[in-house]
Amino acid sequence: MRALIAAAVGLVAAFALVLTITAIGAPSGETSPKPLLTTVPAVKK
Amino acid sequence: MRRKAGLVLLALAVFFTALSPLLRWYAFPRLAKIPPSQYQDMVLEAKPATLLDYGTMQPKKVDKLTVVQTLKGNVEESERIEKTAGRDVVVWDALSFIAGPDGKMVSTIPERYIFDAHTQDPVHATGEMVDGDPVQRRGIEFKWPFLTEKRDYEYYDARARLTAPIHYKGTQEFRGMEVYYFEQTIPWTKVPYPKKMPLPGIDSTKLEKQTGTSMWYTTKRMFWIDPVTGAPVNGEEIHQEEMRGGSLLQGRDKVTAFAGHVKMRADYVDSTVALVKSNRTLVLLLTSYLPWGFLGLGLVLLGLALWLEARSRRPAAVVAEPPVPAPLA
Repeated sequence: MRALIAAAVGLVAAFALVLTITAIGAPSGETSPKPLLTTVPAVKK
Repeated sequence: MRRKAGLVLLALAVFFTALSPLLRWYAFPRLAKIPPSQYQDMVLEAKPATLLDYGTMQPKKVDKLTVVQTLKGNVEESERIEKTAGRDVVVWDALSFIAGPDGKMVSTIPERYIFDAHTQDPVHATGEMVDGDPVQRRGIEFKWPFLTEKRDYEYYDARARLTAPIHYKGTQEFRGMEVYYFEQTIPWTKVPYPKKMPLPGIDSTKLEKQTGTSMWYTTKRMFWIDPVTGAPVNGEEIHQEEMRGGSLLQGRDKVTAFAGHVKMRADYVDSTVALVKSNRTLVLLLTSYLPWGFLGLGLVLLGLALWLEARSRRPAAVVAEPPVPAPLA
């Protein structure tokens, strides 16, 4: 019985962690202030 | 005490073993997405190229023609569309700026490309366009889906405003990476004039109606794709445009407007490969490294838990009595 409870705790913790991470997701960020380029950029070093 | 430790180990074993498939098949499809705020530029060059001199209407050879492509994620628009689409959406405002050898504009073509952040499937919403014309794309553009497969895909050609298959042609090695090579050929197709051309005072949208001269285009498009991220690490295009018939050509059947083999500039190949390699590690973490690592760890912990349990159940060892010395006769 104790072993079953321990396994259930591990399973619930795994689900809780993954669901939380996916629910939070990544932040959207902001639209870049950089313009759409209308000149040829210099060679990158 | 041993029993308690065994139960803790068992809980941890189940935790890590369960995390393995959850990460790969639940978390990865939800977490792997194109960020809506991405900004990226790309420079491609054709050396040499043939360009039409609009002053004399004669094609001429030039040393170099440059295509500057910018993709800019429009976060406000993506959030607006997400409200009705009900899924994560990316809106890319793109500009292809084509410059002659002197750096002056040959043409510019703006685009708005709207797609699902996870699958790269196109999303249709107000504002989707190519050069100001509303379009409804089918297929992918610019980028392949995460975990690209060895198969043909539908690819949207913005110049011709059509979708055609892009064929998987094999696996190659590029800068130490295993990449999938794709190829698409668009046969000669009548296309609209770009709205912005170096023709001061002339409305290019009315050019065909006024002169009867039409614009035609063909291209062979080549992409080398990192299959993990679906990002192109190299791209080339053998691109040709012609003007055909009408009064603008002064009796000629056709005139080359542009012809050239366009390749990514070396510095952009370097920076793209570096970017793809770092993103590739993140994707592999979720699809391979962590799931396999957690599965292995879970099995080791399970083994330890079973071992501790077995030891705790073993009966206490009988302490052997010291041998009694035999009595002396």
